[in-house]
Amino acid sequence: MEKSDVLTFAGRRFRSRLIVGTGKYPDYLSMQRAHDASGAEIVTVAVRRVNLDRTQESLLDYIDTKRYTLLPNTAGCYTAEEAIKTAILAREVGLSDLVKLEVIGDQRTLFPDNEELLNATRVLVKEGFVVLPYTNDDPVMAKKLEDAGAAAVMPLGAPIGSGLGIRNPYNIKIILETARVPVIVDAGVGTASDAAIAMELGCDGVLMNTGIAGAKDPVAMAEAMRHAVLAGRLAYLAGRIPKKLYATASSPLEGMIE
Amino acid sequence: MELIVNGKRREVTDGASLTVLLNELNINPLRVAVQLNLEIVKRERYGKTVLKAGDRLEIITFMAGGAE
Repeated sequence: MEKSDVLTFAGRRFRSRLIVGTGKYPDYLSMQRAHDASGAEIVTVAVRRVNLDRTQESLLDYIDTKRYTLLPNTAGCYTAEEAIKTAILAREVGLSDLVKLEVIGDQRTLFPDNEELLNATRVLVKEGFVVLPYTNDDPVMAKKLEDAGAAAVMPLGAPIGSGLGIRNPYNIKIILETARVPVIVDAGVGTASDAAIAMELGCDGVLMNTGIAGAKDPVAMAEAMRHAVLAGRLAYLAGRIPKKLYATASSPLEGMIE
Repeated sequence: MELIVNGKRREVTDGASLTVLLNELNINPLRVAVQLNLEIVKRERYGKTVLKAGDRLEIITFMAGGAE
């Protein structure tokens, strides 16, 4: 693949198109090894109160912030107000001005609340954040988020943590047709082929957490995802053959043995 | 004196600054953001910020998590 094929948003360039999470790993050491195996350059982190009765170690002891760009998320926020407050505090830590903006609308599906998401995007863009909103696979919403100044749009492939893969590739296709900012599939990836499909569609990247962290062997799955994203991207750039109903011989008919 | 830190009551030396509090709590100031009575305190002001009884503090950091 050409060296120039990089994921670019808000003036930042990343060679890896895979973004990974930090949650749900059996332990920090396997997380660290999975991050390494994934080849990712961006990792998402949650923003929470410091545990004052700490006996456990700090997550940041296991993330080399010189190597990885931190992408704080607003997971668990149900209103624009909460999400904005969380993002502002996250930036104040001083390690990142990126935000994976999540405003959840429903506890069972974890689908986004579009109205609140759009409002929060507008405010945070004005505040100078690089806003990466987690949205549903709705092309109209994706356009609105882009117009509001989102640095990328991150439609879900399927509900968070569901592992159902890309449920509506046609919607993702439509989002890709109209988007002028990168489209990163966020959520739903269960296994390597799901990530490859997202990339073959032409997505600019894939973000996942549970698909890797919840696998029996997270380090092996992280490596599989790295290959899947690369393979999918290459296949997209290579340009696939059209699908046809009948066979087309790939060997010449001339010179057949009589 | 008593403060409310991350929603819990906590006893701190009278007249302690925010730097002193973080030190007592064994928290690396470079890895947190602090909100005092709903106002964000810039890191360079931690040493000059003297705490008063009843102050409400939120000390946040990055934790493991990908999405909700």
